[in-house]
Amino acid sequence: MDSIYYQVKEFLDRGETVAVATIVSTRGSTPREVGAKMAVTAWGEILGTIGGGCGEADVRREAIEVIQTRKPKMVQVDLLDDISSDSPAVCGGIMNVFIDPWWKDSGDGPVEKK
Amino acid sequence: MIELAQGLIQAKVEGAGTVLVTVIEARGDSGIATGEKCLIRDGRVTAGTVRHEGLREAILRQAAIRLKEERSNLVSLEIPGIEGRVEVFFDVFLADPRLYVVGAGHIAVPLARMAKILDFHVTVIDDRVLFANRERFPDADEVLVAEMAEALKGLPITPSTYIVLITRGHKWDEPCLREILRSPARYIGMIGSKRRVKACFERFRKEEKIAEEVIRRVHAPIGLDIAAETPEEIALCILAEIVKVRRGGSARSLSGH
Repeated sequence: MDSIYYQVKEFLDRGETVAVATIVSTRGSTPREVGAKMAVTAWGEILGTIGGGCGEADVRREAIEVIQTRKPKMVQVDLLDDISSDSPAVCGGIMNVFIDPWWKDSGDGPVEKK
Repeated sequence: MIELAQGLIQAKVEGAGTVLVTVIEARGDSGIATGEKCLIRDGRVTAGTVRHEGLREAILRQAAIRLKEERSNLVSLEIPGIEGRVEVFFDVFLADPRLYVVGAGHIAVPLARMAKILDFHVTVIDDRVLFANRERFPDADEVLVAEMAEALKGLPITPSTYIVLITRGHKWDEPCLREILRSPARYIGMIGSKRRVKACFERFRKEEKIAEEVIRRVHAPIGLDIAAETPEEIALCILAEIVKVRRGGSARSLSGH
């Protein structure tokens, strides 16, 4: 079971916003399973992994934006792109990653509409 | 959201299963917001909120199913009174599987260490303090010095418990096996040569009238055939079998040869 929530909580305690990126669905062969997740801090620090490689780098970039806008976002990571690449992350599948901002006071009050 | 993070941590510490439910997509005019989330434990919402009553009921029902299936899933829900479908992600957090290593000899050392890497909650048991101690097992969650069969009687055994019997001899393995044979453990493995194992099972059948399907639950001789030789390789072959049982693989080479 993922333990990134220990660190997520520490960031929230300090009043910082983090983005949690979770693989919610996949098609074809992907480096990690549905439910795999990573947290991204405002400085782009990564906790956990959704499989590494270019896909993870793209998600990290989007996550930093999600932290700024505080609006959740779905990102499709296409691993079909570059099948000739020797990167281990090239698996040939597609994964949908939901990126969700977490901060201390959110959740109870009205959640922002998309 | 701090309550959600706190709730997830608490469930992990207490070894309870939970489901984190997040609305991934809903129509703008439905009154349901993307990112709305709650935490479900023991059939109740324990943190976060889902304001729409119909949606909350559907979520509770679905969460119970996902938890039983032990699988996170994206589900498209149709809720009476809500326009369009609501896409909801059910993120299932299971309690860490528990591994009981019975017998703290030379295989137990790499076994406990590797099992920690695989996220098992590891308990090592032996009746000899010279073997069952923190110096030998720095990563284990618990190291118990106790009469082994007696200790197994007192430990919780659930469908996410895996038990490996690697004591110093069948004189110790057998009473342990007798203790756990009818437990709901997901995996029971016992070390020993084919001949020794056969003799043990014969006794179980004849003298104790233990049913064949009960005996067949026991993985003995233990492990997958990878021609393991060293203690580390044997630990790997045992854990490979445990992962296979847990995840349901075939244990064949993916290449087919």
